[in-house]
Amino acid sequence: MRRIIIRRLAQIIPLIFAVIVMNFVLIHLAPGSLFDVMTSEQQITDPKMLDQLRHTYGVDQPVSVQLAKYIWSVMRLDLGYSYRQNAPVFDVIVQQLPATLILMLAAIGIALLVGVTAGVLASIKVNTIWDNLISLGAVFFFAAPSFWLGIMMTVMFAVKLGWFPVGGMRTIGVDETAVGAVLNVMHHLVLPATALGLFYAATFARVMRASMLEVARLDFVRTARAKGLSGGRVVMAHVMRNAMLPIVTLLGLQLGTMLGGSVVIEAVFSWPGIGSLLFDSVMSRNFPMVLGVLVLGSLLVAVCNATVDLLYLRLDPRIKAR
Amino acid sequence: MIALFIDFARRFARNRAALVGLFLVLVVIGVAIAAPWWFPRNPLRIVGRPEIWPFVSPRYPLGTDSLGRDIAAMTAYGARTTLLIGLCASLTATIIGITVGATAAYVGGWVDELLMRMTELFQTIPNLIFVLTIVSILGQKIEYVTIAVGVVTWTPIARLTRAEFMSLRDREFVQACRAMGMGSLRIMFGEILPNALPPVIVLSSLVVAGAVLFESAVAFLGLGDPNVTSWGQLIGDGRTLIRSSWYICAVPGLAIMLTVLALNLVGDGLNDALNPKLRDR
Repeated sequence: MRRIIIRRLAQIIPLIFAVIVMNFVLIHLAPGSLFDVMTSEQQITDPKMLDQLRHTYGVDQPVSVQLAKYIWSVMRLDLGYSYRQNAPVFDVIVQQLPATLILMLAAIGIALLVGVTAGVLASIKVNTIWDNLISLGAVFFFAAPSFWLGIMMTVMFAVKLGWFPVGGMRTIGVDETAVGAVLNVMHHLVLPATALGLFYAATFARVMRASMLEVARLDFVRTARAKGLSGGRVVMAHVMRNAMLPIVTLLGLQLGTMLGGSVVIEAVFSWPGIGSLLFDSVMSRNFPMVLGVLVLGSLLVAVCNATVDLLYLRLDPRIKAR
Repeated sequence: MIALFIDFARRFARNRAALVGLFLVLVVIGVAIAAPWWFPRNPLRIVGRPEIWPFVSPRYPLGTDSLGRDIAAMTAYGARTTLLIGLCASLTATIIGITVGATAAYVGGWVDELLMRMTELFQTIPNLIFVLTIVSILGQKIEYVTIAVGVVTWTPIARLTRAEFMSLRDREFVQACRAMGMGSLRIMFGEILPNALPPVIVLSSLVVAGAVLFESAVAFLGLGDPNVTSWGQLIGDGRTLIRSSWYICAVPGLAIMLTVLALNLVGDGLNDALNPKLRDR
């Protein structure tokens, strides 16, 4: 088991290496660099000063040297220095990361809860009005852009009804206990997490329905029924458990999309996470930061994918690592 | 040939939802084509008082936005942008995907290994973050948005094409072609590809829907082409006014949703018609 884990984790290394090289190439394709922005924002025109700055930031060296230096520094988790936040890129990202992780976890939770429940319900009541309603809902949420859903939910639940806050992560200027702070964040979390999660809930519902129907036809389900188990127990303990496997795969595959989706949702709800950071960095051509977010985001997805693979091994003992 | 097409049309029509989808797609295409005749002047031009609600003024059936621009005109022109980017991005993704998948399966060996690693790489990179990076680096032009969306959506097509090619490359008819001395490229694209194409076409049609969603997200964030109207951009512009005039966001959002919905339904219908074996699943 340990060898499998190590081997799976080792596969991540070339992947991340490739991401770093590709991003470096992309950055060098860019017309105009952060250096230009920086010097123009500070209104530096003295050529001597410019030369000195170029030397300080290593912009005057050949590309291959810059690439080698970049790879070497990323390996030491040094992603460069953000001139905008006046702090190391890595520190800024790590500082913003928890907010995004909370949002993603909540969205995954909502997606699993809503999607799996809907899928199971549709498969039990297959070809009835319930099944049709759930399928219809899934088709709609599968097509609605998450940011639009977020805005419409804000209009409805925050502006008109006033149930939830319009944006942000916590109420500013309120002194509160630890429990109060958690509740406050959760209150702010409801709308963004739902807006992000519903798309995935729709996917999960469709897959879960199909997979439930598929598993329900297998022999071991007939055996379970034959030995006199109640209908509910057969569905919950026998069919559902096996039908969940495709959901796990899907979840692993969609983590990357979800990280991307949270960028947009964070912009809608001014959620102080990686997405807002990326958005700001893209707008100000803060390339070390953009690169850093891309590399760390890819690393995050790669690690999560490996975890899902290993989880799969646990869930389905039939799969033995080759 | 005609009999084949009639058979295909009959199977497609058996799926009622797909017919509704096809109708909606045709409506969107019709609006996109008719936009310049319908609204002959620049849709980004200011025409009237700002923030007129829909169905109030007969001149502006869908109302006007915060600057007093006609929402109906902008939505109609937005259909052009959305469809164009969706189709071109899907085409880009399909070309990349088929090339990579076909080469990987047909050549095999280390080429296969390398190409599949590359596919994995593109699957790992968070796709929207990658699109935003490309657009921010290359510039906010409609071509770059299209290419960027194509570059992040080709991986499923490559995997599917590879799987199809794998199952076809050792069949008798391919061996016969080889025995006849046909070149590899001709076997790949002239003989195997037509047989592998039906499921790939279905997937490409679904990629169009995904591309429309990607494009709208990019435009919503204000990173789309500022000189072209698009639905996502309209939503982004209207976002600041949700307290007073939420319809500015609602109208283009509904347009995106209906288009994506219709494209998905058509994709399902194509799946039924082209892969009859899979229909009951």
